[in-house]
Amino acid sequence: MIRLNKVSKTYRTDKIETLALKDIDLRIERGEFVAMMGPSGCGKSTLLNLIGLLDRPGSGSVEIDGAAIASYRDKDVARLRNSTFGFVFQSFHLIPDLRVIDNVELPLLYRSMAAGERRALAREALERVGLGARMDHYPNQLSGGQQQRVAIARAIVGKPQVLLADEPTGNLDSKMGAEVMDILLKLNAEGTTVVMVTHDEQEARRVGRIVRVFDGQLVSEGHLHAA
Amino acid sequence: MLRNYLLTAWKVFMRRKLFTAINLGCIVLTLVVLMVITALLDTAFWPSGVERRSERFLQVYGIRSQSADHHEVNTSLMGYKSVDKYLKPLGRLDGVERVSAITTTNAVSVYQGDRVSQLELRRVDADYWKIMDFKLLAGRLPNEDDDRMGRLVAVVNATTARRLFPGGDAVRQAVGQTISVGGQRFQIVGVVGDAMQINAYADMWAPLTSFPSTNYQNELTGQFAALILAHSPADLPRIQREVERVAKTYVPEDPKTYPITTFWADSKLDVVARALLERHDYADSGATRLLAMIGAGMLVFMLLPALNLVNLNMGRIMERSSEIGVRKAFGATSMQLAGQLVVENIVLCLAGGLLGLACARLVLWWLEASQLIPYLEVNINLEVFGAGMLIALVFGLLSGLIPAWKMSRLDPVHALKGAA
Repeated sequence: MIRLNKVSKTYRTDKIETLALKDIDLRIERGEFVAMMGPSGCGKSTLLNLIGLLDRPGSGSVEIDGAAIASYRDKDVARLRNSTFGFVFQSFHLIPDLRVIDNVELPLLYRSMAAGERRALAREALERVGLGARMDHYPNQLSGGQQQRVAIARAIVGKPQVLLADEPTGNLDSKMGAEVMDILLKLNAEGTTVVMVTHDEQEARRVGRIVRVFDGQLVSEGHLHAA
Repeated sequence: MLRNYLLTAWKVFMRRKLFTAINLGCIVLTLVVLMVITALLDTAFWPSGVERRSERFLQVYGIRSQSADHHEVNTSLMGYKSVDKYLKPLGRLDGVERVSAITTTNAVSVYQGDRVSQLELRRVDADYWKIMDFKLLAGRLPNEDDDRMGRLVAVVNATTARRLFPGGDAVRQAVGQTISVGGQRFQIVGVVGDAMQINAYADMWAPLTSFPSTNYQNELTGQFAALILAHSPADLPRIQREVERVAKTYVPEDPKTYPITTFWADSKLDVVARALLERHDYADSGATRLLAMIGAGMLVFMLLPALNLVNLNMGRIMERSSEIGVRKAFGATSMQLAGQLVVENIVLCLAGGLLGLACARLVLWWLEASQLIPYLEVNINLEVFGAGMLIALVFGLLSGLIPAWKMSRLDPVHALKGAA
């Protein structure tokens, strides 16, 4: 489903050139749960951004369902992001000025969809993460764990094929982190492909496959049995 | 989507109240100036009030005579003889309803016992009252009989009536009273509403035939102008061409020195444009150019506060880079994001426009009350309201497009890090 061929990425400033990823070959199949691990600054998030089409590789190619993305225009990439991917960020990135339900509705705004249908889907997504009663709250009225569940609801409201989570439990205590992991595992069990960046070995061991990154290169891959 | 944009805009505005207030203040101040100018221009040039028929009348004010080598130029107002001989006959043309001869205003002293008042007197013929649309408050307007009989009758406006006959119902009491003007005794036969328009402005009106002598009838140049009322606006270009043709047949007092004479039948805007742009030798008064210059001037005036607003908006965008990153991640295209900020900015500017309109109304009330422009009465009508909102829209676009463009180009990864 997702294929990275010899992907490299270099960040440049006026004076410094940093090689973030080098010759990455990676294949992620539909329905997989992949955990990406590695030390800080090793290129995990860059890899996730490339998979999610938030960034473009310096060299190599990214293919989604067999289609090379390099030639896509901005609006085509935006459409693909909207239809294929859902994002969960470490620091939630909820819009503080919008109510929970309006935050969750956000991905649907960029589809041709009636307001009533959008609202119904957002409500359904919030109920799936156990926050049906918090729809009219604002993000700052929720705990960290609840905010991350809202972020997950936002990520899944458009029924994406792939959920990309960048350290989704990084800002949560262990209990809340476990709750979030349970939701991600459940979504994966229902068929959603999940790619998650994590530092937590215990979490990684609960998923099907671990990809380890070091100094911008894939150093090992392993398939595990889900816990 | 629009609801979401508006909701976000409202929340953003409310979150930073001081910032919003500064933005609004900047917008309101700019728009008040522009709207006051628009309202004054509308009153001056748009067919309204006493000159509501101005869309179908033309004015001939000046005569310009030149030597053959164009070095000697003599510019003056028309004399009665010029109007009577060259322009009055146009009344027989198809499409011309009537031609009126009027003087410019003259300062006169009005004596009432031992009290002296300075008034602006305009002498007009009976046709004038049928071209203008004065609101008659009491009495009657002068007619052809008054002209023919040389009656010393006068019309004053409401303010003058109150000035001359203070206390009580001055407007009604003025009718029938006699006043002494330059040794002549005029009977006031009517009182009309105040008017400031170019052809209407005066404190007092009297028939042409009330001149103390008939010398004016022999003068080619003097203090006269002609008003030509057409049946419809479509007749105006033909009348203008005819006046241009008639001007070529004009014989001045000194044809040897000044063999070339021009005069033009102009709309109100043409009169001003011709004078400002010195287009005395051309049929085209330059009105289009004047309008373009006014438009450009307004744009330039908007530019400085717009740049300030651009700056403030850029700060607002940097603050919201995380939101922009999230929207991009979830499928917003650059165009959609640019549209969002432009909508937000336009909403703010339209709100500023409404506030500006209210403030402009206050400024205009002050202007009317101060009498800096005598008899000024400015209405913020639908046209002015529409123009005001259009100005607000242009201002919103001017100040929103650059930040929106910049925002739309933000890289989502950096935006999400808040390092836009």
